[in-house]
Amino acid sequence: MTQDILAYGALASFILGAVAAIAGFRYEAFKRPGWQFVLAGLGALLKTAAIGEACKSGATHFFNSVSDIYGLMAWALALSYLLALFISRARSLGGLALPAVAALMALSIVSDKTQTQMATPPALFATHIICAFLGYGLFLTACSASVLYLEQNRLLKRKTFGMLFQDLPSLERLEWLEILCSRLGLLIFTVALATGIEMAAKSSGVNWLDWKILSTVVTWLVFFLLVTGRALRWINGRTAAKCVLAGAALVLITFMLGHPAEKKTAAGRIPGYRFRDRRVA
Amino acid sequence: MSVPSPLEATLRVIGLSHHKAPVALRERLAFRAEDISKALSGILAHGFHEAVILSTCNRVEVYSVAGEGGDAAARLRGYLSEYHGVPEHEFAPALYDHKGADAIRHLFEVASSLDSQILGETEILAQAKDAYRVSVECGACGPTLRSVFERAFFISKEVRADGGIGRSQASVSSAAVGLAKKLFELENRKVLVVGTGEMATGIVRALKSAGVAEIWVASRTEERAQEFAKREGGNPCHMRHLEEYLTKVDIVLVSSAAPHFIIGPKEILAVAQKRRNRTLCLIDISVPRNVDPAVHKLDDTFLYDIDDLEGVARDGKMERETVAAHWLPKLAEAAREQMRVLHGSEPRETAKKLLEHAEAARAEIAREHSRGMDAKSAEALCRALERLQGKLLHGPLDTLKQSAREGGGADASAWVSRLFRLQMETGAESAAAESEMQSPAARSAPPDDPPKRTLDDRAPKAVPENPPPRGEASGGDVAFAGN
Repeated sequence: MTQDILAYGALASFILGAVAAIAGFRYEAFKRPGWQFVLAGLGALLKTAAIGEACKSGATHFFNSVSDIYGLMAWALALSYLLALFISRARSLGGLALPAVAALMALSIVSDKTQTQMATPPALFATHIICAFLGYGLFLTACSASVLYLEQNRLLKRKTFGMLFQDLPSLERLEWLEILCSRLGLLIFTVALATGIEMAAKSSGVNWLDWKILSTVVTWLVFFLLVTGRALRWINGRTAAKCVLAGAALVLITFMLGHPAEKKTAAGRIPGYRFRDRRVA
Repeated sequence: MSVPSPLEATLRVIGLSHHKAPVALRERLAFRAEDISKALSGILAHGFHEAVILSTCNRVEVYSVAGEGGDAAARLRGYLSEYHGVPEHEFAPALYDHKGADAIRHLFEVASSLDSQILGETEILAQAKDAYRVSVECGACGPTLRSVFERAFFISKEVRADGGIGRSQASVSSAAVGLAKKLFELENRKVLVVGTGEMATGIVRALKSAGVAEIWVASRTEERAQEFAKREGGNPCHMRHLEEYLTKVDIVLVSSAAPHFIIGPKEILAVAQKRRNRTLCLIDISVPRNVDPAVHKLDDTFLYDIDDLEGVARDGKMERETVAAHWLPKLAEAAREQMRVLHGSEPRETAKKLLEHAEAARAEIAREHSRGMDAKSAEALCRALERLQGKLLHGPLDTLKQSAREGGGADASAWVSRLFRLQMETGAESAAAESEMQSPAARSAPPDDPPKRTLDDRAPKAVPENPPPRGEASGGDVAFAGN
């Protein structure tokens, strides 16, 4: 019950944050990033408390229901956004990130909460899940920065100096944010990938042709090439931003088709994981 | 029957600005600073008594006082077309033509920056002062334009000091820097400034205050670049090494007076590989433009010209509307007041001219008829002529005096000028009044056929810091009250 209240509180905060972020494009009163920072921060805090409450209650072994996965994604994206906002003060980022967070949070509340509990939950699994979601969150934040970069680039090329143009940060700042999130995301996602493979190897062996493993590895590769290409100055600007978008699309494919679909198909299809179904009250 | 005041018909401004004319057109009609004296001379030779050319990156305007008769606007349009080699039909739709009080109001708005692309910009006032100074130095500025321009400068200070316009102290330079900031954080950036003009000075100062790391200043002449760099704290470089510096820098600000493109796609593509596709921002605030617009189509290269700067000033439109609502009616009233002042000075000027005209005629008759007379008879003739002149002129002079006191001085002046065929003279002519007194025939030319004069006839004059009040300027022995 407390968990639900906390989840609803987080949803309300994220919705208000998203409204404030969008209103900031039009109204002077909402132009300061403080509004978004406070509201998104409160939402992230409530969601963290909800996760803590879930762990404490012992009702769930770890988070692998459809609801949990959406919730974790919202939480990770909110944390990444807060980090990006704190570092870059790019207020307009909230116009993209916070509605997405609110939508994920809402999906988390309305979707199926049936848990698939692992027989023996290793500590490695917790690391894997947290790193994977934080990686996703950072990649999606990088994607938001890329979208804003491409939009600002378009406005600069078309010489359309409207309200959106004034609100968006400089190209350089957006590019920097995109690089930072990609690098951090890659680092964390590497840990998630390594722990995932390790877990799989320990249980039933790694099936490299499994679509989930494959899409995860491809996502990792795309971001690895992107980060390396940027570091070596092979790519930059619009090309790099488009690559981040491609990478983010892979993240979404991995996430959307991977985790939530898992429950709908067969519990044991995630390589290496042995699940037993349990209905959460 | 009322005769239109000569000033209402002859004082006019004709020109084009950023409102209707794109930079591509403005640059074709722009006057180079060094050619303005020559251009002023040309305008005076087309039957104008006074002229001031205001040619900036945002506008090309000619303020003039025409001789009576003929279509002055058509003469000016024809002159612009002939001078720049641009067919009239190409720029005529973008031209505006204000007369009398409207022309004065327009100047007030321009000098106060209410007509500028960026509200509150300070450069226009300096540019208007320069235009006025050049005209005065050339002797092309007479009492009418002098009075109007001095008033405009005074009013512009008043506008800037009040009404919120000062709060958005934006200039073309700061707008350019603001635009660059949408591409880069300016800290530790390297900037190349091409051109050492006044505009470039403003840019360098704005960039320095924004925190750029290095500034290179390129000019065609090395001495100029060195002098500029020393004054403003940059590094001089020569235009010959432009390519080398294009490789290093992130921002190129072009503000030179070259009549052609200095940088084009070829130059940018040549350095693209060495730059490793880093973003390059070019801001070209020169008119005519010095960077080929095709450069903007290249990847990672952004080019902005003077017209693009308007959108950069945040909330410019809203602020413009607010300030305009506050100031425009006041400026219109000030213009009407200025027109009344100019009209008030007309009876005095007319009376002075009438006296000069009569005295010259009297001297001529006395000279012709006193030949062979003894001194006593000659003196008697002179006295008789003086009395005749006094009696004949008493009526017109009294009427002028009365009309100046009671209003309607402009009408009275117009009638007297027409009846006595008095030429509307300018300040420059007043300066040459002494010599004209010696050749009264010159003044008997009909007013419909204004004499063509060039600047070469005129001695240069210094700009008066505090021009004398109108009454004193006219000199002579006519003193009216109530003006």
